[in-house]
Amino acid sequence: MDRDLKTIEVDIRGQMCPATLLVALKNINEYGGDIRKGSMKLVFKTDNRDATVTIPDSAANMGYAVNVEKTDNFYSITIGALDARE
Amino acid sequence: MPVPTEAVSNPTLLIMIAGLVLGFAGGIIMHRSDYCVAGMFRDIFMFKNTFMLRTLLILVSVSMALFEIGRRSGALIHPFPILGPPSLASFIGGVLFGVGMVLAGGCVVGTLYKMGSGSLVSLVAFAGLIIGSGLYAEFHSLWGPFIKATTFFTGKITIPQIVGTDPAVFVVPFIMVSSFFIYKWFKAGGLERRSFVDGYIQPWKAALLLAAAGFLSYVFAGMPMGITTSYSKIAAMLEEIFAPEHVAGLAYMKAVSLNFTHPLTGEVMKGGPGPVFDAIAVIQMPVIVGIVLGSAFSAISLREFRIYTNVPQRQFIAALAGGVIMGLASRMTPGCNIWHLFGGLPILAVQSILFFAGLLPGAWLGSKMFTGMVVKTGA
Repeated sequence: MDRDLKTIEVDIRGQMCPATLLVALKNINEYGGDIRKGSMKLVFKTDNRDATVTIPDSAANMGYAVNVEKTDNFYSITIGALDARE
Repeated sequence: MPVPTEAVSNPTLLIMIAGLVLGFAGGIIMHRSDYCVAGMFRDIFMFKNTFMLRTLLILVSVSMALFEIGRRSGALIHPFPILGPPSLASFIGGVLFGVGMVLAGGCVVGTLYKMGSGSLVSLVAFAGLIIGSGLYAEFHSLWGPFIKATTFFTGKITIPQIVGTDPAVFVVPFIMVSSFFIYKWFKAGGLERRSFVDGYIQPWKAALLLAAAGFLSYVFAGMPMGITTSYSKIAAMLEEIFAPEHVAGLAYMKAVSLNFTHPLTGEVMKGGPGPVFDAIAVIQMPVIVGIVLGSAFSAISLREFRIYTNVPQRQFIAALAGGVIMGLASRMTPGCNIWHLFGGLPILAVQSILFFAGLLPGAWLGSKMFTGMVVKTGA
């Protein structure tokens, strides 16, 4: 499962709307190839409640697997390749 | 800033408590649902997304019905105090306001609830709003005559007044048509969205609650919620500490923009942007404080209140510039988006319709500026 999956963390906590989504989209586009290959995942750390809807929606529309969870007092949005079994 | 004792009478306490409670509730609702009006307009252009805008139609339609009931009761003032006849200034103000709110990342109220939940960028936007609102006083002597010169339908405020009919002639068909669309979206699942955050309130529910809050404000304060004259007042109060003669010499600071008989108590209430504790302060300040506290309470209770300082400098600059532009625009219009969209639009005030029409190109322009200068997308 966890064969050395490269993880890139992007901390966008404190950033305003719509910078949060724009920064996320930029990163998703930049690393899209590696994410699709399954060799990498992106994690966005955000405190922006709206971004926990807009970033996963956009990523899901582009065909990525998305997971959101609350860590401490902020949200972590993980963007990865879709599980092959699904 | 002496507090005249005669100002602290019966309606004062009633209005202040109502404002604080409604503001507090509004702050919680807006924080939970992220009910961002700036985002609503921006996303039409930036992301071709109208999800939030649909809920604005719900808010406007429900408010329209409630305000019409209020008007028919005969116990309330219609159209609301402060609203004036339409002028070109309302449209120009709307355009500028649209630009400002997108750059600031929130409107005059959005800035408050975001600031309350710990956003440093919104605190900077708030400072910009105060500066812009104060700056307006410096060129009111030029803009005031422009408003007068471009006013049409003098003495008439709403479409029904201009046409000379009962408002129901417009209100009933509007609500029927909007209900059709709202029902259609509802059936198709276009009004709900998946959310992962704690304590989320779906925006359509927030729209209903905010419409109710607006109506309660109409009943208790005599008008729906508006807050921006107070931004000028705060600016004047701060300016007075450093340059009292200058403030005293500004004509705008002597203006009386509010003069009405409070429906519930029958007291005459007057106020304006000047640095005194008057009816404007009584009606608006508690709402401002309430929204900030309500949002802070909501964020703290969800354990999400944190202040992050590691934010790109460009965003602070955009927020400051956006705040200044928005502050200026809200005085030029006059009135902010909450006043016009949640208040004036539902009673078909032409001033508010022009402001709304201006917001669209303004938000478009603001979106272009944001993706060109703040976060470069290269798109």
